[in-house]
Amino acid sequence: MTTMESKNGAEEIIICKDVHKWYGEFHALRGVTTTINKGEVVVVFGPSGSGKSTFIRTINRLEEHQKGQIIVDGIEMTNDVRNIDAIRRDVGMVFQSFNLFPHLSVMHNITLAPTKVRKLPASEAEKIAMELLERVGIPDQAYKYPKELSGGQQQRVAIARALAMQPNIMLFDEPTSALDPEMIKEVLDVMKELAESGMTMIVVSHEMGFAREVANRMMMFDEGVIVEEGTPHQIFEDPQSDRTKLFLSQIL
Amino acid sequence: MSTNTNKGPAPILPPPLLNRGMVGWAHDNLFSSWYNSLLTVASGALVIVTLWWGLGWILLDADWTVISTLGGFLAIGEYNTEKACAGQNCFWRPQVSLLLVMVLVGMAWGIAQGGTARRIAVLAAIVLAAFAFLPYSFERMGMDIRLLLAANIPAVGIGWYLGKHTRMGSVRNVVFSGIAVFVIILLLLRGLPGIPGFEPVSVIYWGGMMLNLLLAVAGIVLSLPIGIALALGRRSRLPVVKALCVAFIEVFRGVPLITLLFMSSVLVPLAFPEDFPLNRLFRAGIIITLFSAAYMAENVRGGLQALHPGQAEAGRALGLPSWQTMTFISLPQAIRNVIPAIVGQFISLFKDTTLVTIIGMLDILEFGRSFIQSYVVDGKVVFLDDQEELLIFIALCFWVFTYGMSYVSRKVEKHLGVGER
Repeated sequence: MTTMESKNGAEEIIICKDVHKWYGEFHALRGVTTTINKGEVVVVFGPSGSGKSTFIRTINRLEEHQKGQIIVDGIEMTNDVRNIDAIRRDVGMVFQSFNLFPHLSVMHNITLAPTKVRKLPASEAEKIAMELLERVGIPDQAYKYPKELSGGQQQRVAIARALAMQPNIMLFDEPTSALDPEMIKEVLDVMKELAESGMTMIVVSHEMGFAREVANRMMMFDEGVIVEEGTPHQIFEDPQSDRTKLFLSQIL
Repeated sequence: MSTNTNKGPAPILPPPLLNRGMVGWAHDNLFSSWYNSLLTVASGALVIVTLWWGLGWILLDADWTVISTLGGFLAIGEYNTEKACAGQNCFWRPQVSLLLVMVLVGMAWGIAQGGTARRIAVLAAIVLAAFAFLPYSFERMGMDIRLLLAANIPAVGIGWYLGKHTRMGSVRNVVFSGIAVFVIILLLLRGLPGIPGFEPVSVIYWGGMMLNLLLAVAGIVLSLPIGIALALGRRSRLPVVKALCVAFIEVFRGVPLITLLFMSSVLVPLAFPEDFPLNRLFRAGIIITLFSAAYMAENVRGGLQALHPGQAEAGRALGLPSWQTMTFISLPQAIRNVIPAIVGQFISLFKDTTLVTIIGMLDILEFGRSFIQSYVVDGKVVFLDDQEELLIFIALCFWVFTYGMSYVSRKVEKHLGVGER
């Protein structure tokens, strides 16, 4: 694995160079270039249709980029299926609509990938799953089915499911947008704890309180490019771009 | 307007006592409006008239001796006649086959937690054993036949024991045993040359309900996996695979089954080596299976298309290769959601087995029909007027099996929570 050391000594874990993506004629990503260091928590925000979800979905190849270069944990994203699978094993993802498997119990949702992909014995996978469920605060729901859980609990199971593959990077695609207000906090608390543990995280979210408290860096997306990036302090107190100012004034 | 704000918690009240009891129920459901009342009276009258005439005919006018005269022919056709198995007695072969099936049913009961498998196993064993006590003379229905029929009860018991208390008791083992039993049954019914008492019986004499059931079971068991493969092929990104699957599905769905059966003696041999022994039962089985598989493929494809794309995305995001995403995530949900359509196809396939008559096989319906037409059995002219009784009996035989399938499917749906997300 070739990891690169940047000038300030931090380890670069995701490198994007001039990434472009088209849906038919629509130019969704118009040259995204950025580097994310190990352990960094990056909050991505911007108006709907700005390409922020598309951007994080190119990082684990749920969307294919047509131009540019993406290197994740030293592996370049190409059409080689082995590379794609290797990156996906290393990158966990949490979705807006949870996407738990409704035909499997919570336990089975979590142990499926470790037993099938990492070939862990069932007993070991279950032990790990139980530890993760305790970490996200719902060990007593292990043998229920997803539909018996509240939205907040489902999203916490989804986080545990992604963590069970022991990823180095976690992607969150609007993890709290589908939740009732009183459940948002329980999910954000889990994410906060995860960030404190040193996980590299890219979070697409408009939870500005979370961003202010947890993010190392924020990225404002608009029309397929990063309009502005900086620390939460810079973004909130001294935004440079007019589009960032306008957008923040609308949501805050 | 004034707003009433409650300081304390609102009291919990029982629901209002409206429309309880028989009168209330009748008012709500039968006589809630004038047109509802009219419909209730009209359909009530229809039911009474139908029952009056129907039951009157069934109990008083009908002559059911036609059923008892035909007896075993309806079950196994001409299988145990002198021309089918000359110089030997073949009755035991279908009966032992039946016992093997009942052992399997017993195993399913032994494994299943719920009561559906038990109900079916016990009911089937009792009904079959009851045939041992039919008031035929012993000349017509020997003690050996009766004993083998009665043995269905211990057969279910043995199966139950195997399923519940031995290492055979797993779903996987029952599936493998089922496949083994099907092969054994085919061998048993066919026989082997050179073994006295076990000489081959040509498949043209396999008939009656036995023929319908053999074709239906083979078709049902094989058409689902073939249909799944076709559905996946149709969604494949490889253009050649996709084109072949689309062509297969559209051809087999676009041509009537009767036509395909007519053509089976031409079509099926194309797919096999020149000297491959293809008898007409084998050909009919293949055609029925492929025909049903084409429909099954579209059912399964519908189920796959109804899935939220996030399901497959979640699988891929976890690093599962696409075939594992399909096997463990997409297919189980897709099939679960289309169980009603799949079982509908099974039922349709079972009823379609009666069409094998056009390639000269005497299934239960054709046997009854040819009997009505010939008016002759053992040289005597009999039962000119009894075709209604015979047809009603045959219809009842089909209904028992199709209702059974539909009953099991309802239980399975409920167990799997179909319709819930």
